Amino acid sequence: MSFSTFFSNIGMLLSRYWHVFVLEGVKYTLLLAAIAVVGGTILGALFALGKRGKIRPLKWLIGAVVEVVRGTPMLLQLYAGVFMLPRIFPILNEVDDIVSVTVVLVINSAAYTSEIIRSGIQAVDIGQTEAARSLGLSERTTMLHVVLPQAVKNILPALGNEFITVVKETSLASTFFVGEIMTSYLKVKGNTYLTLECLTIVGAIYFILTFTLSKLLQRAERRMKHA
Amino acid sequence: MLDIKNIYKNFGDLKVLKGVSTHVEKGEVISLIGVSGSGKSTLLRCMNLLETPTFGEVWMEGKLLTPVDPYLHAEVIQASNTYKKLREEGLSDEEAVRKIKDEDLLHEKHGREGKEYTALIKKIYQENHLDANLARQKMGMVFQQFNLFNNLTVLGNITLAPVKIGMDRIRKAKRAGRPVTETKESVRAAAEKKAMDLLKRIGLEDKADSYPSSLSGGQKQRIAIIRALAMDPDVMLFDEPTSALDPEMVGEVLDLIKELVKSGMTMVVVTHEMGFAREVSDRVLFVDEGYIKEEGTPEEIFRHPKDAHLKDFLAKVL
Repeated sequence: MSFSTFFSNIGMLLSRYWHVFVLEGVKYTLLLAAIAVVGGTILGALFALGKRGKIRPLKWLIGAVVEVVRGTPMLLQLYAGVFMLPRIFPILNEVDDIVSVTVVLVINSAAYTSEIIRSGIQAVDIGQTEAARSLGLSERTTMLHVVLPQAVKNILPALGNEFITVVKETSLASTFFVGEIMTSYLKVKGNTYLTLECLTIVGAIYFILTFTLSKLLQRAERRMKHA
Repeated sequence: MLDIKNIYKNFGDLKVLKGVSTHVEKGEVISLIGVSGSGKSTLLRCMNLLETPTFGEVWMEGKLLTPVDPYLHAEVIQASNTYKKLREEGLSDEEAVRKIKDEDLLHEKHGREGKEYTALIKKIYQENHLDANLARQKMGMVFQQFNLFNNLTVLGNITLAPVKIGMDRIRKAKRAGRPVTETKESVRAAAEKKAMDLLKRIGLEDKADSYPSSLSGGQKQRIAIIRALAMDPDVMLFDEPTSALDPEMVGEVLDLIKELVKSGMTMVVVTHEMGFAREVSDRVLFVDEGYIKEEGTPEEIFRHPKDAHLKDFLAKVL
């Protein structure tokens, strides 16, 4: 196969199937990734705070979730969410696959993010907390206005890494044909048998998405540089 | 103003304070001196409950800051079923109380001591207790490592607590249905005006929008001091305020503290600056091995020390 046919095939695929790649694929990947990142960060922050809190059973539960999520492959977790759990709890059969996949992605991302946030909170000098408490500020205000802002600044690079991982991990959802970019690849490849060309297009799309994200995060890092 | 009663503090197996009692009168300046590890910083931190004493009480203007310890209140013991049972068995009041204290009988049956007991603890709590957060608003503290909030500007550092606590005040007033005279904006404006006045007083008003990382140690510590002053504290606690400073900056910080002394501020200062302790203190406490070994006027402590360890300590530092 010559380079010229390779590139002309890519051009053909893009012109004929762009709506499959972009309208369907990118749309669902972005949707999944956005929900996973935002939901994962919020849930992860709650996990991190819960683990630092005083309620023993909650700490234990969060610890267990984090360890299980970190200790098993993502693909297996997706299987668990889509196939295994509905067997045990038949009511989950009513739930759409894409919802199950999204929930698994959120919990997975929350487990990793919670550990990142926890390390960030721990890295903030205890003197900062003591100074705030010595002024009569409550634990909550201290956390929200003094500790967390500094923790977030410290963990931004690690958090960015996790966000990018999440974007790429949405590709595993194609196992269940939920319509993100990797699903587009499967569809187009099935129609045209142009495997290499399709993979190149999909790879480029992922790279553009993650590269944009990493540039945005760099900008955020620069803005928080002062302290 | 502050009453410290029989404070013990353990960190695991390490016994740092072993029964310390003292009091701080209004307008008084007290210095805590002693070798490193003697417990003087821990004692200071127990005063505003940054460390919770293992045992003992901290009182501020007649209100208890430490958790209510049932063993310290005879009436709580007397309301307990254990006490009643012991009395029925023929023990005298004194014997019963002593038996309960010695054998830790109250604790054992904590949950099953009955309604009177619980009600009494609650009553003692409500009558005598002051929330640590409220108490701390009236106790400024200055740390060895400055501890300015790195994520806030100098102005943000000084106004954070007054603004947040002002907002709490508004919220509480609204909830209680009391008339609200302040608004969010007025609280912020007042806090900012006060912060600028304080900054002018130390000649750093041009640093209001700088971040702490761009300041020298002496500037940081002076800002830490006025951050505490912005809350209008009744007493200021200083934890080795000059120990982390370069020598040439010690003077500016000590001058500011001396200025506060002149204005009549009540203060407790942990310090290694003996000259300073001697000059400004009304009373000097020598903390050693977890006890207050000697206490007196600077004259008594520095000229006529009695304790052998104090003599030793002074010979080394003077």
